[in-house]
Amino acid sequence: MQQQSESNIQALRSGPVVAASLALLLAFLTLMVSHHISRLSPGLDKLVHSYGYWIPGSQGKGPDGSIGSYTGKETLAIGVWLLSWLAFHLMWRKQDLDLAIWTRIFVISLIVITLGFFHPLSDPLVLLIAGFFGLP
Amino acid sequence: MSTGHYTHDNFGKIVIRAQVGIALALLLCLPLANFWFPSAYSLKAGIHGLSAILALVVGTYLTHRALPLIKGMHVNLESLRRWLLVATLLNLAGAISGNWIYMRYRGQDGPRDWILERVPAIHNVLMEFKEFVSLFPFPLMLSATALLYYYGLPMQTRRDLCRFVGITILVSWSFLMLGFVVGLVLAKLRFV
Repeated sequence: MQQQSESNIQALRSGPVVAASLALLLAFLTLMVSHHISRLSPGLDKLVHSYGYWIPGSQGKGPDGSIGSYTGKETLAIGVWLLSWLAFHLMWRKQDLDLAIWTRIFVISLIVITLGFFHPLSDPLVLLIAGFFGLP
Repeated sequence: MSTGHYTHDNFGKIVIRAQVGIALALLLCLPLANFWFPSAYSLKAGIHGLSAILALVVGTYLTHRALPLIKGMHVNLESLRRWLLVATLLNLAGAISGNWIYMRYRGQDGPRDWILERVPAIHNVLMEFKEFVSLFPFPLMLSATALLYYYGLPMQTRRDLCRFVGITILVSWSFLMLGFVVGLVLAKLRFV
């Protein structure tokens, strides 16, 4: 029994936890970056929107409306989330990484990304970065 | 006077369960009433409201299940992962129905137009924030669920893994609350 529990402890690795949670951060970051890009100009909004055309209700006018470029942001985020989760999982599934440090990084990054969706805080920074790249 | 653990007797349990049942039923009346609102979009609004409230109720319940996990106490993982699966599905339903109702929100003479004309900051700041943070709970819950199924029951032997999953549940709940409260403010301000 003791032996079995020891082998179980050895079999468990924290790599999959880091893989799953880092993929989440990248997905939320993609959501944030694509959102800010789409707000810079109608052309960029259309570009982001085009990734979401496959979602029913992504286009249309009138009282029933449409989801708009939000669909493109969702599609990009889902793509980054699932692909990076798979890649990180395959890379780290047999590794044991320090979760004490990673938990802090994960929670702080989530708070920072969340604040990135709060326009009064994020807009000045977005405009500064966009100006640096010569974007409208 | 002794100060031991207080344990509820049978009557106490009946009172608590009745209170939870009545509160839940009344809470569900909030979105259920949407189905009878005088709007062509009442069905969409009702389904989104119902899935959002149910996701919030289950998410809140799960925060109580997450605390022993964080503290490293022995928990019933089989039951917890089933509840997490339910929470994941409810959050997915909330996100899909949210997309559905969002169409009308953005539609001609819809709530967005009305709000932009009168209180633009509510759309430009609150709604633009809400529509994204409301997407967070589903992947967070799915991630926690997947990890519990991936590691299986031996996971209890690793406190750091359990702690991380517990924290993920708490974080997911905070985004659920943020999205829910702002959604309620918007629906109160201008119904679809």
